[in-house]
Amino acid sequence: MSEIKLLSSDQCTIVVLKEVAERSILIKNMLEDVGEVTEAIPIPNVNESVLKKVIEWCEHHKGDPPAAADDDSDSRKKSTDIDEWDQKFMQVDQEMLFEIILAANYLDIKPLLDVGCKTVANMIKGKSPEEIRKTFNIQNDFTPEEEEQIRRENEWAEE
Amino acid sequence: MARQNSFHSDPASASTSSTSSSPEHFSCHDDLLSDFTIIPDDSTSSLAGLTDFRNMTVGSPTQKPSASRKLSFYQQQQQQQQHVLRNHPLPPVYRLPPELLIAIFSKVSSLVDLRACMLVSRNWANCSVELLWHRPSFAEFIKYKAMVSAIQNETACYRYAQLIKRLNLTFIAGEVNDGSMKPLVLCTKLERLTLTNCTNLTDSPLMEIFASNPRIQALDLSQLGGITDISLNVVAERCHRLQGLNIAGCKRVTDASLVPLSRNCKFLRRLKLNDCNVITNATVISLATNCPQILEIDLHKCHNITDEAIIQLFTQLRQLRELRLAYCDLLTDDAFLQLPSRHYECLRILDLTGCELLTDDSVNKIVNVAPRLRNLVLAKCRNITDRAVINSISRLGKNLHYLHLGHCQHLTDRAVQHLVRYCTRIRYIDLACCTHLTDQSVCHLATLQKLRRIGLVKCQNITDFSIQTLVRRSNDTLCPLERVHLSYCTNLTVEGIHDLINNCQRLTHLSLTGVDVFFRRKDFTQFCRPPPDEFNEHQREVFCVFSGSGVSKLRGYLNAEKAAAEGLPTLGEQPYYVDDDDTQDMEEYGEIALDEVD
Repeated sequence: MSEIKLLSSDQCTIVVLKEVAERSILIKNMLEDVGEVTEAIPIPNVNESVLKKVIEWCEHHKGDPPAAADDDSDSRKKSTDIDEWDQKFMQVDQEMLFEIILAANYLDIKPLLDVGCKTVANMIKGKSPEEIRKTFNIQNDFTPEEEEQIRRENEWAEE
Repeated sequence: MARQNSFHSDPASASTSSTSSSPEHFSCHDDLLSDFTIIPDDSTSSLAGLTDFRNMTVGSPTQKPSASRKLSFYQQQQQQQQHVLRNHPLPPVYRLPPELLIAIFSKVSSLVDLRACMLVSRNWANCSVELLWHRPSFAEFIKYKAMVSAIQNETACYRYAQLIKRLNLTFIAGEVNDGSMKPLVLCTKLERLTLTNCTNLTDSPLMEIFASNPRIQALDLSQLGGITDISLNVVAERCHRLQGLNIAGCKRVTDASLVPLSRNCKFLRRLKLNDCNVITNATVISLATNCPQILEIDLHKCHNITDEAIIQLFTQLRQLRELRLAYCDLLTDDAFLQLPSRHYECLRILDLTGCELLTDDSVNKIVNVAPRLRNLVLAKCRNITDRAVINSISRLGKNLHYLHLGHCQHLTDRAVQHLVRYCTRIRYIDLACCTHLTDQSVCHLATLQKLRRIGLVKCQNITDFSIQTLVRRSNDTLCPLERVHLSYCTNLTVEGIHDLINNCQRLTHLSLTGVDVFFRRKDFTQFCRPPPDEFNEHQREVFCVFSGSGVSKLRGYLNAEKAAAEGLPTLGEQPYYVDDDDTQDMEEYGEIALDEVD
């Protein structure tokens, strides 16, 4: 089983099985383009701690079958179910959570991106706007009038 | 320029904001998005493109000139920038570019949660508004009115009407009329419009809506009896992307609009023309000739259709999946016997209810050309004999899941015995009014492992013995039956039915209309569901159908009664299988009524 090296944004080299790294479509395509590589592949947008975390996920999911084409986008019953291991994996602080999402997006690891997005979606579920702001430390930049107008214009939305 | 990025901690993300990867992306949304990230260095620049689009202006415009609003926005952003400068990095969530926020919101399933997201901040509003308005849905008319007033408001925060892609007014159908429909003409990006049962509607608002919505792909106008060719002609002219059309019950629609529609809408795949009883072969032949992608077509009660149209459908449409021709009563064996002997591997569903002229010969040819039929409905094809079942239908083997032979009165136990031997995966069978059938047939049916629904209405020979064989499986497995129709099986006794409901824990539907020992007992019928509105006095009196929790209540009652009679302590109500397919219940309502009226 061949190994490759990845170079994080903070210049740390991480050795990883090729098969594991290829969960990232970005890396997979890169390897297909360049063939054999001995040098470390730079991953300029992802630091060591995040990259390690992402690789941990890829290792656990290396045997997963390719995801079925998700053409069911019209369904209102979008599942926010997350498998148990992934749930535990995602029990990290928000700093790490959003870095994982950004890394999954950059590295093109769709299933990890999905898990990340679902995790955040679950944090939103059932909360009021103010509770959401508190959860994510978001500043309310609406004027009171704007807020009231948006509330009024969207009050039709119901379960 | 540094200020431009102050909304985001990551400079790269600001530049991506106007190229959001949202799958359904609007230029108007785009404008808004970029407006949020642009700081007007002078208040006139960068706003030109927004003249036709209301920005987040609030309150009375005179009170708040847009320039000053911009300024306050600008100040806010400056504050945020200072926040950064003072070395307090923004919280991590701010690092997400819009396309990732949108990806997160797309996992938020409830509209209420999405609305909460809209109220969090401007950036969140921009990223969630499309998702919230993609498919508005309403359970109450008052909510629909609130939505309409938002799309009509010219000073609204967004041009909401442009965001709506799918609209379903079925749940408020009774209250929708031309006046309340009219504002939807502001929508121009509709892809699906479902107006089932909005029976008050006429052509006038619809033709305008169709004219301004060339992207419509699916249109459900079923039971809109008031609409005419005028509406459908606009669809023909404007909605060339149409793939699904349901005009069931639009009885005034004729060939005059459907022929042009079939010529223009070449992508049509699914069509329901039920009860459009003035249409003729001209429509069907034109559809067959011009719309090669048709997969499903329903011509229920299109009484004018003749053999020629059916031959054309089969000749042109090799990939046809579902063909429903119920009560196309002019059809003869020629419709099928003249077909070339090639295979229609895709055909899964064929409904020939009430095509009374058809004989065993048609059935034989059908099975020859469509060996993978899964659903076959031959109800009221009264000429059908044992020969069709034994020599033809049985050859469908394990492919056959659903078979309706109600009112095929010639059938005997021999046919059922043969059928069950070969078609072992039948899940649904209806043999209503096959009056020759006896307990023997039911003994055979009892061996079907996957049988979930059995219809034996008016099979008057059957007795409690049938029930015993149905519920006592040889291999000790649980009885899989969910829906059992035994109306007018007048030999059945209370003990027999008690046996049935105690042994079929999955039972969610049991019809016993006209079974004396049941409908006369008020203590039983208290658990019945109400008879359909259209039933007359007599029909109401004998009506006796238990469904959902009614079944388990009856079970509890019978058990308690028996325990009392035997002097045993009363057992608590047994857990019951929860009825989660009420919609199917309603679908079958008509069918039940049909079986039980005549």
